[in-house]
Amino acid sequence: MTAYLLRRLLSVIPIALGVLLLTFLLFRIIGGNPAIRLAGKNATPEKIAQITRERGYDKPYFLNVENFPHQLFDAQFPRLVGRLLRGDFGESITTRQKVRDILVEGFWPSLCVTVPLFLLNLTLAIALALLAAYYRNTWVDRLLVVLSVMGMSVSSLVYIMVAQYWLAGEWGIFPVWGFEGPQYLLLPVLIGVVAGVGGSVRFYRTIVLDEMYQDYVRTARAKGVSPARILFSHVLRNALIPILTNVIIALPFLYTGSLLLESFFGIPGLGRMLVMAIPNGDEDVIYTETFLGSMLFVLANTLTDIAYAWADPRIRLR
Amino acid sequence: MLSVRALTAITAAGSILLFAGTGCAPKPEKTASTLYLVGGDFKGFDPADSGDTETAEEICRVYEGLMEYSYLERPYKVIPRLAEAFPEISPDGLTYTFRLRKGVRFMDDPCFPGGKGREVTAEDFIYSFKRLLDPKQQSDGDWIFIHHVLGAKPWAENGRFDDPLPGFVALDTHTLQIKLTKPYPQLLWVLTMPYAFVVPREAVEFYKKDFRSHPVGTGPYRLVSWRRRYRIEYERNPSFSGQRYPDVGEPGDREAGLLDDAGKPLPIVDRIVLYDISEYYTFWQMFLAGQIAASGLNKDYFEKAITPQLGLTEELKRRGIRLYKTPEASTWYIGFNMKDPVVGGSDPRLRQAFACAINVPKLCEVIYNNRNTPANSIIPPGIAGHTDKPYPYPYDLERAKRLIAEAGYPGGRDKNGNPLRLTMIMPGAGSTDARQLAEFFVDHLRAIGVELVVQRLGFSEYLRREHEGNYQVMYAGWIGDYPDAENFLKLFYSPNKCPGVNATNYENPQFDRLYERVVVMPDSPERTALYEQMADLVMKDCPWALMTYPLTYGLYQPWFQNYKRHPFSYASSKYYKVLPH
Repeated sequence: MTAYLLRRLLSVIPIALGVLLLTFLLFRIIGGNPAIRLAGKNATPEKIAQITRERGYDKPYFLNVENFPHQLFDAQFPRLVGRLLRGDFGESITTRQKVRDILVEGFWPSLCVTVPLFLLNLTLAIALALLAAYYRNTWVDRLLVVLSVMGMSVSSLVYIMVAQYWLAGEWGIFPVWGFEGPQYLLLPVLIGVVAGVGGSVRFYRTIVLDEMYQDYVRTARAKGVSPARILFSHVLRNALIPILTNVIIALPFLYTGSLLLESFFGIPGLGRMLVMAIPNGDEDVIYTETFLGSMLFVLANTLTDIAYAWADPRIRLR
Repeated sequence: MLSVRALTAITAAGSILLFAGTGCAPKPEKTASTLYLVGGDFKGFDPADSGDTETAEEICRVYEGLMEYSYLERPYKVIPRLAEAFPEISPDGLTYTFRLRKGVRFMDDPCFPGGKGREVTAEDFIYSFKRLLDPKQQSDGDWIFIHHVLGAKPWAENGRFDDPLPGFVALDTHTLQIKLTKPYPQLLWVLTMPYAFVVPREAVEFYKKDFRSHPVGTGPYRLVSWRRRYRIEYERNPSFSGQRYPDVGEPGDREAGLLDDAGKPLPIVDRIVLYDISEYYTFWQMFLAGQIAASGLNKDYFEKAITPQLGLTEELKRRGIRLYKTPEASTWYIGFNMKDPVVGGSDPRLRQAFACAINVPKLCEVIYNNRNTPANSIIPPGIAGHTDKPYPYPYDLERAKRLIAEAGYPGGRDKNGNPLRLTMIMPGAGSTDARQLAEFFVDHLRAIGVELVVQRLGFSEYLRREHEGNYQVMYAGWIGDYPDAENFLKLFYSPNKCPGVNATNYENPQFDRLYERVVVMPDSPERTALYEQMADLVMKDCPWALMTYPLTYGLYQPWFQNYKRHPFSYASSKYYKVLPH
């Protein structure tokens, strides 16, 4: 187990570097010299050259072979990696804010939306999936399936626009926009749950039903175990592995926030900021995000494996 | 163990929980003392880094400069602000002497001893101007001084901030002299720009990297709170040095009620709150609910608000909402790389054919909902040098076919019979608007047999290609920095070729000679005539196929008063008034 964990944790290094390299290739090499943008529309060639020099955009991309061996790594990509490893995430070229400060500022507002949304979605989806499975092939099951399919077929954007127009604008039940207190989170969370719960219900229902047709369920039923006990003690326990996979893999995305909900409801979180960074060519924000995101993703995968071993004693991590 | 009944109950409770606790929606208080606007996505309060509109607007609420634009008068006019009067200009036009208004104080701030703001002096302006030129600032605004002010370039190159800069001299506490290397008639225009606003050294040194979050100016408002990507709040600056609402405007201003507050002390509104709303849909809902005072109109909402006759819809009229239309000082064009072996060179006929092949009135109608108007000169309306002469290359397919044949491509084919294939770059990777625009151009060029390939690029990549001259044809626009045609004509001056602002690499010795002559001339009918002549010269060679002039449409609430859009000034909020509603 320890060896397995070490191996997995070490795999973070090549994965994070690989993701960073791809991002660097896309934005720095294909995307062009950011100094041109920083220098403004009236820039003189000297001004562009000065910013290029001061920000190190004139250095070789990967290896400084001209200065071998002492300054071999005095090149753009190695400098970027070194900086990120030291925890220096640089600054945004659009707001001139430290990326670290941007992350700190936006982290909690994003979590204010994503965490309740995630927990409510999970609880509601598992509960509805169990209900549907329990009442399988009855009108309750069919109704839940139809509602789930309908719910997941409609774009989140439609929910947002309809809810913002009617529930907030016309009827005044919720604030239209803002981040002043818990009541401002209700509508975005409600929309997030309504838009997302359908797919989760269908997924969890399938898992639960798969389990309900297993031999051990038939045996338990034959032994006279109550349906509720079968559902909660046996079925749910055995369905945990796919549920855990689904849940843990979603965790890294909590910190990135929700682009649409944050944009439409004025939540000053990371979602909108990170997506805006791409068209703005805000490199340091993008590098930091991909670097941290890839590390979190590998960690979440490792956590999933550990959870498997915990949930199913038959699984051994080697 | 839970029963199924309990499970059902929990599910229902979970659903209900989502709706619980939803009191009434908090709304902005509707008083006459607070103005609610949209904005706030900006870089911070550093005048040296104020190149974009959003940043310039916020900086103008808290900082000021020597000069400013007259709010109501047109044509655009400069008036003194922190200068006591217009400067004395030496007969050779090389020395400007400004006398500063006495008693103007920086707002109170912990950066000053005892937290009490001190009086603004000539040294403060020198410090602020030097800061703009300091290479460490990497300011995108140094161009306003670097090639014009005596000794500015060597000073910037030697890197010692406290060394004197001979072009900026404090004759006494309240007298500032600016010495130039050659006449710079645009100086008063550029002094209205936020780049040239005054900042106290104490604040820069006290807040260091955080200076851009702690504005300490002399402006009409002071910052109360700022949550990035969400909300900014300002309140009246109690130490704002008396200024009154103007009593002169242009014809029609009095009838429009824009002079009703003449003589009243500024600012009129006590508080300004700006929300950073990124989705236009949300913004529209809030505007209709009366929570926001003014709204621009984006393409998707244009038809909801504007009739085919370009008036306001009945529904909005019923709400008392009013419409404004203002021409922007910018020109959009298709630029040809004059160094390109196919589209460049001295023979303009291929470029002229390109221009004649594009139906610009249809472009305005189909792509821009008539929010843009067809351009007829490289100099946009409202700026001396613009004329109403018809554009020499209007849409004319037959003429386009004839010109392209004369250029050596009959039917759009070269001498080997291969179709002429041109590549155009434009900003807007992934943008629907850019895709529609690209398809429009491709369709029109196909009509003369040209195969146009459009590369829609990310903005940084587009800028790089443009600056390096690494393109054949480009779609671009130039937004004027100040109302002087020189700001547009410099785009054709050959020493400014790539990687300078002359992105088409246009070269015409006659034009260059005229440019060198007019660039030092003060405003006069003679200079305007030369501007017109230079614009004609450029249009004859056709390095730009002219497209459109944008027209800004916007809406404002009936209770929002004294609103008059100015395409160059960002210091308008001190004039705004909100009626009780």
